[in-house]
Formats: sequence, structure tokens, C-alpha cells
Amino acid sequence: MKLLSKRTFSALALLAVLGLGTFWSISAPRPLSASDIPAHTPDAANGKILFNAAGCASCHKPGADQANADASLPSGGAPFKTPIGTFYPPNLTPDPKTGIGTWTDVQFVNAVQRGIGPDGEHLIPAFPYTSYAHMKTEDVLDIRAYLATLPAVEAPEKKAGLPLEVLLRRGVGAWKLAGLDTTQWKDDPTQSASWNRGGYLVNGPGHCNECHTPRNALMLQDDGQKFSGGPHPGGEGKVPSLRNLIGRGKYKDAADLASALANGELMGYENLSSGGMGEVQTNLSKLPEADVAAIAEYITSLK
Amino acid sequence: MTKRLIHVFAAGCLLVLGASAALAGPADDAIKGRQACMKGNGAMMKVLVPMVKGEKPYDAAAVKAAIDETEKGCADWAKWWGPDTQKGETLKTEAKAEIWSDAKGFEAAGMAYVNAMGALKASTDEASFKAAFGPVGGACKGCHEKFRQAD
Repeated sequence: MKLLSKRTFSALALLAVLGLGTFWSISAPRPLSASDIPAHTPDAANGKILFNAAGCASCHKPGADQANADASLPSGGAPFKTPIGTFYPPNLTPDPKTGIGTWTDVQFVNAVQRGIGPDGEHLIPAFPYTSYAHMKTEDVLDIRAYLATLPAVEAPEKKAGLPLEVLLRRGVGAWKLAGLDTTQWKDDPTQSASWNRGGYLVNGPGHCNECHTPRNALMLQDDGQKFSGGPHPGGEGKVPSLRNLIGRGKYKDAADLASALANGELMGYENLSSGGMGEVQTNLSKLPEADVAAIAEYITSLK
Repeated sequence: MTKRLIHVFAAGCLLVLGASAALAGPADDAIKGRQACMKGNGAMMKVLVPMVKGEKPYDAAAVKAAIDETEKGCADWAKWWGPDTQKGETLKTEAKAEIWSDAKGFEAAGMAYVNAMGALKASTDEASFKAAFGPVGGACKGCHEKFRQAD
């Protein structure tokens, strides 16, 4: 007895092709074009502030195996562990062969704000473009200008060796339909200028929610529980909630949190070192005092 | 009747005692020691940090007392990190596996703290105290970054 008639088989095959076709078209990268990039005179000094606010160096630092590498430069190569594999974030210095020296502005903005690589491929959202998408594109261009001032380091990218890479990247394309919100931060006119600056830094470059907001089974952030903490993405321990920090007695006031973020354990704040927060805190210690105070004002307002 | 109830109750107590004795073990003891030592370090920080920040006046005697107190609590440090103490029998620990897989790195991080504390102890006035405090906090951070897991 035949399981499928020829006709049923043809119908199923057609459906499969249609399904694949649909998947292929909805998962296609949708890059910005050069005309989407605003005219802007780049400001490398502002770029340096945002480079630190965005924590670029934490992931793009050289690996421990690169003996003579200058650890202060984002030449890439340090391992970044995730559930789907270990990534080696690439070289951000202006080296033309192994860095981003030859990238155009639109390629840079597409990578940072749309998660699309220079060859048009989807980038895995271990790179937090989902938050960087909320940044002002001018600020992203300023980071690019700051990176261009750094010495070029020749450090070839180490490939992650992902399972079923082509399909996985297309899977990311489909995931972006729900997981990538490209609206830029909008100031709330009922709040102070510093609260809005803090909100921008936290939600855009700071990408705090990438770890401090729990995710569902599809790895989408649960916005109803924004900043309420969750399991650590590295698999060990928990990420604390940022809600109601003063009410829960974690910090005395916004100034206390600002001091914690700026100083960490150098002033005895012992909960800001583990789970990757130590590197975040090191980056925050390099920001202007007013920006750290703004971040603290915004975060302590979360209820 | 009442006597019988007392017997049952006593037997129950013994059972509970016996069960908890069987559950707790040497790893729990080590973890308890570690956590008490760290708690002591935290208590020392509560005395020192307000002086570093200038919220309280510098008090050499109080600094010395706080350091002595925490050192007492951590005296058995070397006994607490055996390979069988990675997980407690009943207690949770924030110690990361890297403590044992990178034993040299862990020891170096610990020595950075010991040396920084030595310099802090040797400080004699407000200026030298403040200068010596930074490296102590830096050593705490350096070790916690690598060897302590998130909450």
C-alpha cells in the first residue's frame, strides 16, 4: 500500500518549497542604505564616551593567548561563551586587513544598529545591536570616528564554528522580526534632562536590559518584566533585578548607586564585580560624572 | 498517653537531628568558613569606607581593630579550598569552578589581597591610609571578577 499518492506528495513538496521560500524571504537581511545615514560631522571625543558607555572593550578585548597584545585596544579574540557556541568578537581597530579600516560608514551602522555584517550576513545577537538600534545614529558614527583614532592592530578574526551556520543566521533574520525593535530612544518631556540622558544610556549604548531583563523560550526579552533580573546568560548564577533598588534597601539613594557604579569595590560596593558586571563597572568608571549620575537617576526610578 | 507523646516527639527530634547530621558535611564546613570570612571583610569595609569617603573622621585605632577582626575570621583560609569543596552538601556557594581549574590564578588573586592588606595595616596616617585603601578594593574586585559567580 502506498503511504502517499503521487498527488499528495506533489502537494506536500510544493508546500515545503513555499514554506522554505517564505522563510528565506522573511529572514532576508534588511540593511540601511547610504541615504539612510544622516549627514554628520563626527566627534571622536563623544565617540570615546559612547565607546565606554557601550562597553565595547569588554567583549572586543584581546584574548589571553595573544601574549603581546595591548589589552586597552579592542583588537578582539577573547572568548565569549553563549549557549550556542563560543564567539570571538572581532577586531575593531582600523587595520585594513583584519580590522574595520576599510569599512564604510553605512557598513558600520548596519553592523551596530541592524546586526548585519559587511558581507550582508545576519550577526548573532550576542552582539547587542538590539539595544544599539535605539541609539542616535550620529552617536554610532562618533564611535566609528573614535575607533579610527586608535592604533591599527593586525589580529585576524577567529571564527566561532557555529552549527548549521547558514541556516542559523537566517534563523536570526526571522527572529529579528520580533526581537529587533529599531525605534530610537525618545525623551520623555515630563522627566528631567538627566533622567532622559540616563534612560538613553541605559537602553541604548549601555544595553543593560540584555542581561537584566529575562527572556522567554524564543530568547525574546519579556518587556513586562523589564529590568527584573533573571538567569545569567553565561549559565552560572542569577542577574539581579534593577527595580526598586532604594525601596529594597540595596542603595541609599541615586547618589549612592552612582558612587557604586563609578567606584565599585574601590569603595567597598561588593556586588558589582561578579558575573561580568566588574567589566561593566570598569567601563562606567571612565564616563563623565554627570553621565554616571544620570544612569543612577534613571535606574533608581525603575519601580 | 502524655508520656507516649513525649517519646514519639523525642524520637522525631532524634531523627531530624540524625538526618541533618547526615546531610551536612566537610564541604559545608569549608563553605561556612569562607562565607564567615567574607562577611567579616564586608564588616571591615563598613568601618573603612566612610573614612575613605570622608564621611567619618580617620581613626587609626578603629582601622587597626577592624583589620585585626577580619584577619581573625579568615585565619583558616588555606583549609577551605580543598578540591572536594566545590559544592556544599547542603549549602550553596558562589565559588566558581575556575578557583580549582586555575589554581595559580586564584592564589595570585589572593596574594594581591594579602599584600594590599599588609600595606593598609602599615599605614600610619590619613593620607597613607587612603592611598593604601584603593589597592585593597582593587584586589577584592580582581578576585571576584574571575572567581565569584553572579548572585
